[in-house]
Amino acid sequence: MIKRFTVFLILLALAAIFAQLLFDYVPDSSLNQTGRYYAENAADEVGAANIVTAIIVSYRGLDTLGEVTVLFLTAAIIGLVLSRDRSQQQTAPEAVNRPGPGELLVTGSYLLAPLILLFGAYIFINGHLTPGGGFQGGAILASAILLLLLTRPVKHFSHRLITLLESVSGLVFVIVGVLGIILAGGFLDNRILPTGQLGELLSAGTIPIIYSFIGLKVGAEFSSMLIRLAETEDN
Amino acid sequence: MVDALAIIYLTLGTAFLLGLLRDEWRILAYGITLLSLAMVSGIASTWVWHLADNPAESVEIMTAGASPPFAINLRMGLAEAAALMLATLTGLASTIFLKDTLLRLGRRAMAVLLVFIMAICGIILTRDIFNLFVFFELVVIATAGLVLLSHNERSLGAGFKYLMASQVVSILLLVGIIFNYHVSGSLNIDDMAGMSDMLIQTTPLAFFLLFIALIVELKPFPANGWALDIYESAHPAFSAILSAAAGTASLFAVDKVLAIGGDSWLPVATGIGVLSFIGANLFALAQTSDRRLLGYSSVAQIGLILAIIGQRDILGDSYWLIAGGVLLAHAVGKAGLFWLSGLIAERELTAWTALRDRPLLLFAFISFIALLIGLPPFPGFYAKWELIHLLAGADRIALIVLILFGALLETAYLFRWFGLILKHDEVAEKAPCPIQKVVVIYSAVVAAWSLAYLWGELSVFGNLMHAIPLLFALLFLPLEGLPARIKNVLAIGGLVTWFILQYPLYDPLQLIFGAIILPGGALILLASFHNQGRRIGFYPAALWMFAGLSMLIVAEDSFTFFAAWESLTIGSYFLILRGKHSQPHAQSYILFSLGGAFLMLLGFALASAGNPLFPLESLTTVAEDVAPWVFILLALGMMTKTAAIGVHIWLPGAHAEAETDVSPLLSGILLKAGLFGLFILLIYMGRQQLYGIDLTHVLLWVGAISALLGNLMAIYQEDAKRLLAYSSIAQMGYALFGLALMNHLGWLMALMFVVNHYIYKSMLFLSVGGVAKRTGTKEMYRMGGLITLMPLSFIAVLIGIIAVSGVPPLSGFGGRWIFYNAIMSAEYRLPMVIIFLAGPIAFLYLFRLIHTIFLGQLKDEHRKLKEAPFWIILPQMIYVACLMVFALAPGLALRHVDAYIDNFFPRNGLNWEGLTITSTYGYWSPVSIMIVVGVIFATLFAWLVFVNRRAQKVKQFNIVFAAERPYRPETTHFAWNFFAPYRKALGFMTQPLVTRFWATVAESLHTSAELFRRLYTGDGQTYAIQLLGFVVAVYLLSSGVFYGV
Amino acid sequence: MEHIALATGFLLILIGLYGALTQRDILRMIVAFTIANTGVNLVLVAVGYIRGRSAPIINDNLPAAEATARMIDPLPQALVLTAIVIGVGITALMLAYAYKLYILRGSLDISKIKELKW
Repeated sequence: MIKRFTVFLILLALAAIFAQLLFDYVPDSSLNQTGRYYAENAADEVGAANIVTAIIVSYRGLDTLGEVTVLFLTAAIIGLVLSRDRSQQQTAPEAVNRPGPGELLVTGSYLLAPLILLFGAYIFINGHLTPGGGFQGGAILASAILLLLLTRPVKHFSHRLITLLESVSGLVFVIVGVLGIILAGGFLDNRILPTGQLGELLSAGTIPIIYSFIGLKVGAEFSSMLIRLAETEDN
Repeated sequence: MVDALAIIYLTLGTAFLLGLLRDEWRILAYGITLLSLAMVSGIASTWVWHLADNPAESVEIMTAGASPPFAINLRMGLAEAAALMLATLTGLASTIFLKDTLLRLGRRAMAVLLVFIMAICGIILTRDIFNLFVFFELVVIATAGLVLLSHNERSLGAGFKYLMASQVVSILLLVGIIFNYHVSGSLNIDDMAGMSDMLIQTTPLAFFLLFIALIVELKPFPANGWALDIYESAHPAFSAILSAAAGTASLFAVDKVLAIGGDSWLPVATGIGVLSFIGANLFALAQTSDRRLLGYSSVAQIGLILAIIGQRDILGDSYWLIAGGVLLAHAVGKAGLFWLSGLIAERELTAWTALRDRPLLLFAFISFIALLIGLPPFPGFYAKWELIHLLAGADRIALIVLILFGALLETAYLFRWFGLILKHDEVAEKAPCPIQKVVVIYSAVVAAWSLAYLWGELSVFGNLMHAIPLLFALLFLPLEGLPARIKNVLAIGGLVTWFILQYPLYDPLQLIFGAIILPGGALILLASFHNQGRRIGFYPAALWMFAGLSMLIVAEDSFTFFAAWESLTIGSYFLILRGKHSQPHAQSYILFSLGGAFLMLLGFALASAGNPLFPLESLTTVAEDVAPWVFILLALGMMTKTAAIGVHIWLPGAHAEAETDVSPLLSGILLKAGLFGLFILLIYMGRQQLYGIDLTHVLLWVGAISALLGNLMAIYQEDAKRLLAYSSIAQMGYALFGLALMNHLGWLMALMFVVNHYIYKSMLFLSVGGVAKRTGTKEMYRMGGLITLMPLSFIAVLIGIIAVSGVPPLSGFGGRWIFYNAIMSAEYRLPMVIIFLAGPIAFLYLFRLIHTIFLGQLKDEHRKLKEAPFWIILPQMIYVACLMVFALAPGLALRHVDAYIDNFFPRNGLNWEGLTITSTYGYWSPVSIMIVVGVIFATLFAWLVFVNRRAQKVKQFNIVFAAERPYRPETTHFAWNFFAPYRKALGFMTQPLVTRFWATVAESLHTSAELFRRLYTGDGQTYAIQLLGFVVAVYLLSSGVFYGV
Repeated sequence: MEHIALATGFLLILIGLYGALTQRDILRMIVAFTIANTGVNLVLVAVGYIRGRSAPIINDNLPAAEATARMIDPLPQALVLTAIVIGVGITALMLAYAYKLYILRGSLDISKIKELKW
């Protein structure tokens, strides 16, 4: 009781802080210096039509590197934590009799899964042209895997493949970044490949390549996490 | 120069690469990890080298081919490079330490470790605020992951609590970032710093959220329960990285971001920092778990550095030296201690007794705690010196007092821990020494001493590591394997040589003290020849103490004086600790001594008005309003060394429980350091008035009461060495009285005292020690009748007590004579009476000393004893000869001193003509006295011998009285509770009031620690609530800052 | 418009924090943190919005020449992407912890995890 009251009081103070921020907030009427720079120059310098992608992959590529690493770490840690447990659990596997998934469910998921995968791939390949990008596409890829996990729980996934995919994608990202230092203006400068025509698929330098790899990587990592979490279920 | 970004992409690339390897190739993975960390450490080190020579060449590294704020940029300057070197080397060392664990867990764990180090480096390098957030989150995730490395379930709970707290922090951080961006239009820290005024005026709350989130990352007290759990339960190598590397990076981040807030936010940082420092140190007092204690200590030290960051407006150019010094000292020391804890099996503090038989590891432990406390010659010492001075210059006295108080608390628990290691009763099994762990620990020790050297080079005060006496002491460390006798020869040789070298440079005052310290010390060390074996730890400690003493007397500026003071304190602490039951006494000794040293530090800082370089002579020209306070502080500091009444409670135990050849060193030589300090103080500052009270008058009273009470307490002692120790308190009271008289003869008497007391107290301690060695006990009532078996010891004690009591013909009488002359020319009546009273009281215990031990009845168990060992007797006999010579020709030493004192008190000197000494009131002829006494003695002696020819020898028990025939010596030897009537009459004067006072102080600190640490209930949710509560509290308390008040 | 979005975001944060600090069950706490994270992301996105303007994608609808006049600030959108991913990462980690804690303790009550204290 006291605890709730204390929490309430503290959150009240926090609400006061937020209210203050809210009241002092004056929305912009035009772009500030950073926004304006991006609006004016991103299309020419980077060659990507989706300015947000340009920022993520190129200008603030270091943040993206960190983000990618976050997922890599999380997947590695979950693998570390849950795989140790799995080996402890294998001593007594109990086969629980569960009714299998119905034919409607299985066929439906077989129909949907490739479509979802395709959609996800479309999102990250066209990251520089339309809304979306590697992370979004990767999440969609993982949702396909999730669908399969939910409908066919006995299906076996290769952790080896997923780990390989993760590492290769990560390495490619880092190597492209280093190439940016050697061949172009700085780390993760995307202009080591020609920027091409704005709006074309093969434009914006290395962005499509990087984003595709990121998409694969993110998809692989999310899938890996989901698979591990699913494997923890008592069989 | 390799691009600094290489640090980031090398570690990251390696982490990704590890995924390509097969799971079974663990050794290969481990090798690759080590290689990668070694490479980035190398890169960081080359940058440090390069920038140290060319500091102007700090580099801005752009990414993505665009300039900030449109792209992220990094900066590599000297400070960044040093921090990077620290982080990468700590990571490398911990990886080596973790070899077995990493090989067991596989490549994924190694990848997490690599990313952890990368993220720490990223925090240090980046200049973009959102990038900072991303790297911080990486650190959080990697920490949570690595916490799972230690396979105990407690760490699971700790990790989860950590994640909860970091969620709250990231919410605050993100809201702060985006609002800051909104107002400033940029995410670059330097841009925002440029717009600081505008930011703070329009939306201070945004900065507040940003600031407080980063502060909470530092795990400040009291919002840090989750952090302490991690320190306690995680693998120690990981805690080492967390405390040293991650702590450094977080501090760097706060330093960077504070630039955005401007100067008005600095006091908030200082307040939080000081609260952490004191609170965490206080709670650490009550800890019994080693790693949790180290966790509290980490929180405290990081709080101190935060407070230093908050003072950057007054620290100017020295900012990096001060902050960096404390930071590096903390990092190396804390990491080292965590690594050491990896060798200990149990988690109780007492389990560290496993280190007892491993001298090298003990030395490592000592180096680490010296680093943390800031003892010379380590960087923390230089840093604290400058910091306190600069703070005094800006009149922030309250802050100084708080910082010094926290430092004293830290000293208390760290030294108590060391005392436990050496002296706790139950000894744990010897610690195992797996090679990779030990290598890491030793490299930390090497780093510690290298830092000591480096900071000495960088400081303007001269490098302490260049001081020859200190180097000589350090020389004995590699020689510890030799037998004690060889080391003793070396030590004695060194002391004598140094005296000969320094002799021409001494003025008469320094000569007297120098003669006592150097050849005098060598003389006492002669007694150490009786020790066989190797005596590990004795010689470095003793010589460190001598180094401090010899540097003290030639110190010309306050820094050298203070460094010498602390050195002699540390050396003597280690010597005292060697006694069998001496741990609590050594502990109170170090606390009082360092407490007094801190008071002196404050005094020097006030006197110099903030200038860290302060020649001692300038004490004469201290500002009027400040001078009395400076006097009081410095005098208090000196008096803790001379054990004036009120701060005397450490002395009886320390001197009594020390080893046989250590007690004379302490009583004979060490106490004089305080007297020397008082001499210097009075020479330069003279009389001082505070609110109309003449401070020298107060000193007079203190001296008189010390003399009276010291003597009174001595008479009730059953332990011979304790008796002598209390006697020392009284004698120092006399000397203080003489000094405080502030006239020529008073000072002459004090100086004569210095020499006399050295000779007879050392002699008495040695003889009592020799007797104790043979009889196996220090209790006087157990001894008796030893005159026939130990005649030489008897002669030594006899001469000694004649000298102490001031009976003619020995030098004590001369001292008395000078003393009475001195009092005649002063106006003080009541203190005089007290001192007069103290004199005869001394007779009581001196008589008891000789009667109870040597006269009376010989006990059965002692019938077969031999004389004390030759080497202990030898110095005593030399002292006897000295006393005789000094009695006959006191002018040998005193003539020059008398002339020297003429510089200060021109009138009322003594006339030294021929063999007679005249003063304004009378004359003294030592030779005549000796002749007279000699004739009387010879006559009586001859008559005794003559009469004794017809004496009949009677056996010991051939006594019958009251129809009882005794057959045991105890029943006829009146020795126990000798002065019972006096105790009944005067016992009220020796109530242990002072002891009770100090005990209450210590108790209350401990109790408050015990009570308030219940704050950390263990519930993770409570910790999160405390975190938010802390944020709200800071918001409310600092609301004045928001509106530019 | 922007104020409403901001207020909603703040409200979500407060609700999420309240849940996280008062719920005993670990899984509920994690969900509450997710709500709070969503609130933060909402705040992040709301800050960049400029009334009457369109998304920062250059196509026929928004040619490059008019970009400056008709685009909202793209930077907060990039930031929020990173923030979402990081939030997901931490949530996954907390779930793994919850699982391990459940296996080892048999309980998901946060107040039971108290061996390490003062």
